[in-house]
Amino acid sequence: MADEQINRDSAEFMDAKKEMDRLVYESVKEKEVKPNAFFMKLSDITKAMPMAKNAVKWARVNSLWPMQFGLACCGIELMDFGSARIDAERKGYLLFRATPRQCDVMVVAGWVTKSMVPEVKRLYEQMTAPKYVIAFGECATCGGPWWESYNIIKGIDEVLPVDVFVAGCPPRPENLFSALMKLQKKVGGEIEV
Amino acid sequence: MTITRINVGPVHPSTGGVVRFVVDLDGDTIVNVEPHIGFLHRGVEKLAETRMYMQIPPYTEKLDYVAPMAYNDAYVGAVEAAMGIEPSERAKHIRTILLELQRIASHLFSIGLLSNDIGQMFTVFMWAFKDRDMVLDLLQEATGSRMFYVNMRLGGMQRDLPPDFADHTLDTIKYIEKRMFEYAKYMEKNPVFTERMKGVGILSREQAKELGVTGPVLRASGVSYDVRKNNPYYMYEKYHINAKTMQTGDNFARYKVRILEIQESVRIIKLVLKGLAGSEGKAEGMPVKLRSPNPVNRISIVRRELPRGECTMYLVADSQKPYRLSIRSPSFINLAAVSHISKGARFADFFGILGSLDFVIGCVDR
Amino acid sequence: MKSERKSLLAALSKMKSEGFDYLVKITAIDYVDHMDVVYMIRSIGDIESSKDEIVELSLKPTDLWLPTVTNIFPAADWYEREMSEMFGIDIKGRNASRLLLEKWDGTGYPLRKSFAWDAPYKTSEDKK
Repeated sequence: MADEQINRDSAEFMDAKKEMDRLVYESVKEKEVKPNAFFMKLSDITKAMPMAKNAVKWARVNSLWPMQFGLACCGIELMDFGSARIDAERKGYLLFRATPRQCDVMVVAGWVTKSMVPEVKRLYEQMTAPKYVIAFGECATCGGPWWESYNIIKGIDEVLPVDVFVAGCPPRPENLFSALMKLQKKVGGEIEV
Repeated sequence: MTITRINVGPVHPSTGGVVRFVVDLDGDTIVNVEPHIGFLHRGVEKLAETRMYMQIPPYTEKLDYVAPMAYNDAYVGAVEAAMGIEPSERAKHIRTILLELQRIASHLFSIGLLSNDIGQMFTVFMWAFKDRDMVLDLLQEATGSRMFYVNMRLGGMQRDLPPDFADHTLDTIKYIEKRMFEYAKYMEKNPVFTERMKGVGILSREQAKELGVTGPVLRASGVSYDVRKNNPYYMYEKYHINAKTMQTGDNFARYKVRILEIQESVRIIKLVLKGLAGSEGKAEGMPVKLRSPNPVNRISIVRRELPRGECTMYLVADSQKPYRLSIRSPSFINLAAVSHISKGARFADFFGILGSLDFVIGCVDR
Repeated sequence: MKSERKSLLAALSKMKSEGFDYLVKITAIDYVDHMDVVYMIRSIGDIESSKDEIVELSLKPTDLWLPTVTNIFPAADWYEREMSEMFGIDIKGRNASRLLLEKWDGTGYPLRKSFAWDAPYKTSEDKK
């Protein structure tokens, strides 16, 4: 049996794969799967051990990973924020990732035009919960200097729920630092919304 | 020959901004590239028709947000030409120094991003940003802000330079001059860098003139044209610039031209600083008031050399606001050449080509 | 120098043969009763010499079309597309190509004086 070449395109093979999938699914559904540390959700752990809540909160608060979403001029200040003088990594805002799956915070830096709105929404929906949004700069807060233009939306909070607004055109990198520290207080539960 | 179509989408860590490229691939070779632009279009030329003359510099600064003072200077130069005002001698010295400092900062930014896109040389990115921060400190001393300085007025500047500016500038300039040798030594001995850059993305001399490219891209293909040399303005009439050209026209030549231009800027700043003490005239220009003077010439055309190329401002002047402001931006036409340059290259070299063309999308979709 | 639409291609070819082989910009200005189109070209000579030249022509608002100049200057491709989208001037002789800019809801020619845009100082609530 092992010597025969398996023809992967035939209809029989495709049926066999479906058959195996169905069998595995049904066996798992019927049996009681014992709670195993690999398959528990984080909320189950904190229900079982209430003292773990503090550990989970500590981990979430001190490792907020921002997503690199610099669209325009405020994006240059984001790059300065991650570079050597105002080091972002020392407080846990590590590694500006380009993929939304690994990030917690979306820093919207720059003006958002009507053509960009579907992309912004899609990236926000691809992020995994819990997720936060910072509106960085005046263009993301209220439309900025392009208030009267025919092609931009007046502030990113017409599209996404925003947690922290940062004012300035562009804000200095130290402003972003203090905005992220305020967000850390919100994530840790010290600021009531 | 089957063609695969790949979308290098608007949000990408290695394109220089928000732009979509639709790439047709045959195996690993690029057959056709088409850029879709317009994700940052906000209608600057239309907005400029509803504002008075000195309310527009905050708009034109945010076109090229890596070197904002250069666009400011081009616009204010166009308005001065329409009104028949000539800046004073001291203001010309100050403008030249600040513009050359802006050019050094912009070229360091471009070198840092280019090496970030080629093989994870994140180290060089950090070095370039550290040196750029030192130059931005100097500009903050002179104007008060790190990034958007609305400091040009009609006939001069907003305020004079502080008294110890010349000493600080000389210290920083000498440090940067030494540093450029270190950059060249470390990067050009690195086999990853040289193999990915030499012989890739070749643009010949005739094609460069036909496609209308400008700036370091044009000079790296052997055409010796620089606005500061051919139509000189400010202090370039007195201290002559050598336009640095290279003959090969590949990625490496475009990178090397920028390093040579930083060295040329250092030389010019030292010369102008010596002449600054003896220059006469007031540095402050006209303050911004409710009514600006009436224009004398109806149409004014002004050319300046930005770090990324040549910018031509075509201003049709009405009595208190512009009737039409037409901006020729260098990144627009440099981006249009990407489909010709990258035919036949491999897909992994595409990002090296984009980094060496050095466009800024705020300038492309005005 | 002034030119007419019917002699435009001949004038530009003559200038190209005299050494003006670098196109700087093609732009248009909307005076309400006529529209001006401006071609800026340059000859990059030897080391110290370069000359700039401007070719202007005027169009009536009922008759807005122009022949394409991409056979003479290949750099005119994107400038012509941008001009035809912003002003509504029809460029004849091009291959059909997509719009240059990713448009919003898509209608109107923005840089004309008669473009109806939202009056200033209105917030998004006022529009609903």
